[in-house]
Amino acid sequence: MQEKRTARAAFVAAAISLFCLSGTVAEDYKPGPDAMEKEGVPKGTVTQYTWKSEIFPGTERDYWVYVPAQYDESKPACVMVFQDGGGFVRENGHTRAPIVFDNLIHAGEMPVTIGIFINPGVVPAAKEGQEPRKNRSYEYDTLSDLYARFLLEEILPEVGKSYNLTKNPDCRATCGNSSGGICAFTVAWERPDEFRKVVSHIGSFTNIRGGHVYPALVRKTKEDPKPIRVFIQDGENDLDNLHGNWPLANQQMAKAFEYAGYDYKFVMGTDGHSGRHGGAIFPDTLRWLWRDWKSLKP
Amino acid sequence: MLIRLFLIVSILAPAFVGAQDMPLSQVLIDGEGWEKVVDGFAFTDGLCTDAEGNLYFSDVKQGTAVYKVPAEGGDAVEFIKEKPGISGLQWAADGKLYACVAKEQRVICLTKEGEETELVNEVRPNDLVVTADGDLYFTMTPTKEIRRIDSSGKMTVVSEGVVTKPNGITLSRDQGTLAVSDHGGKYVWVFRIEKDGILTHPENYMTMRTPVADPEIAKGDGMATDVHGRYYVTTAEGLQMFDPTGRMGGVIATPDPDSGLVSVCFAGPDHAYLYVANGSAIYRRKTKTSGALFFEEPKPAEVMPKN
Repeated sequence: MQEKRTARAAFVAAAISLFCLSGTVAEDYKPGPDAMEKEGVPKGTVTQYTWKSEIFPGTERDYWVYVPAQYDESKPACVMVFQDGGGFVRENGHTRAPIVFDNLIHAGEMPVTIGIFINPGVVPAAKEGQEPRKNRSYEYDTLSDLYARFLLEEILPEVGKSYNLTKNPDCRATCGNSSGGICAFTVAWERPDEFRKVVSHIGSFTNIRGGHVYPALVRKTKEDPKPIRVFIQDGENDLDNLHGNWPLANQQMAKAFEYAGYDYKFVMGTDGHSGRHGGAIFPDTLRWLWRDWKSLKP
Repeated sequence: MLIRLFLIVSILAPAFVGAQDMPLSQVLIDGEGWEKVVDGFAFTDGLCTDAEGNLYFSDVKQGTAVYKVPAEGGDAVEFIKEKPGISGLQWAADGKLYACVAKEQRVICLTKEGEETELVNEVRPNDLVVTADGDLYFTMTPTKEIRRIDSSGKMTVVSEGVVTKPNGITLSRDQGTLAVSDHGGKYVWVFRIEKDGILTHPENYMTMRTPVADPEIAKGDGMATDVHGRYYVTTAEGLQMFDPTGRMGGVIATPDPDSGLVSVCFAGPDHAYLYVANGSAIYRRKTKTSGALFFEEPKPAEVMPKN
């Protein structure tokens, strides 16, 4: 009994210390009213699927497709792809994207958009007791067109069998947190002919697999910037580790976008390596990202 | 109240632990550098260990024997005589020592008493690993092959043309993944080991650091795995460490940079020492982790405590 109490006390101490991050005390970021169900707003549907990839051989993953109530199969819908989709699609998660989509589409603040929420792949174990090979870092942190090809050659054609998806790159967006954030950028950077809208929260523009070079690459496109629109968010208390310093890396990205003349927005908060801040401001991020959607033809 | 706090913490705990790193500081110990174990050989290679942590190795150029250094340290002794030209060694669950005899183009197995059985000949073996089930995988560097010898002695080609110069070879701690370093490229490739022992789903999972003068060739060589699932590979740039998801965790400097680094294994007391073959000598250093031993029952990688 005594032991139990001690263990509990230690746990509470550990829990409290979690809140006391070094440096600036983080603000308490929470989902706002646009991430709550509102009366009179029609609710879209979310359906879960699984996918076996050939571009990432042997991998399997879950993905979810959100279809807004306003979707009309006679009109191509805009598309937004989320990395680590399981976290974004949850209705009690950090971002609650389906509810935010319901509210903003209903209010006319973003177009009718099909959300595709994809988890990173794993190569399942062949034998009982073994662990799957985790492919997340390989898929998200690698600087190549591989993930863009995975979307273009596998996921979009598959979802496109059931839904009328736009082919207009200005109507295709991608979003992610952390390594999923740099992945969102890589997709548009590699294939601006296919994807032109990017949302990165706490993006890992650090040297996990070479992503620290992006600010330099972006700067070299001055006078001829790629036709992409990029939102990036980070927090002062984000990671500083062997791969790099997240707040500095995101500031470097922002400065590079500014220097090279990109259509970008940078929001710096106080949080650590968490999806809370990006989630809390996500409705405004979408308003900014889709601000001219009425002039676009999906 | 306690329960509620628990819930809050579990929701707010960082969701993206994937970005947390696994740095060298989780492995190396302040003030513990490389110490020389043996010297005076021509080209040490084939480092491996047994359940007691003794070190076994070969001298692939001028050696005449399989050598042994006790776990606690001491001089190298000839453990099995008249065995020249060995480039890869590994103790297996059957209590036998398996060897790539590069010079004679054979793979053999040896009892503790030195009795030899030839498994295959007319092959070009470089390095090998043996699973707890008794499947032996070996690299054939010049022919871009990985071959398997099953417990009945049957040999099959399980990978051809994927890795430019397959060299070092190791397993994940749970033995479900085979990792092979490329001596002629910059990746460590991983494969899934299927139930029937064949290899599927190759992926260039780890990108090794390369010399500035030779940016495409890391000279990946010997490999090892620790109980936390990290991979180690000897390269032109030093001993490179990768976390279980294939991200580089750091580069440990070569003890004698004037000589190549060709083989690595965990041995010594509690298998907590990294040993490297580095030219004429072998060095070791104490670590905070310990080696995955493939003659033991496979286990999931131990999870590192949060930073």
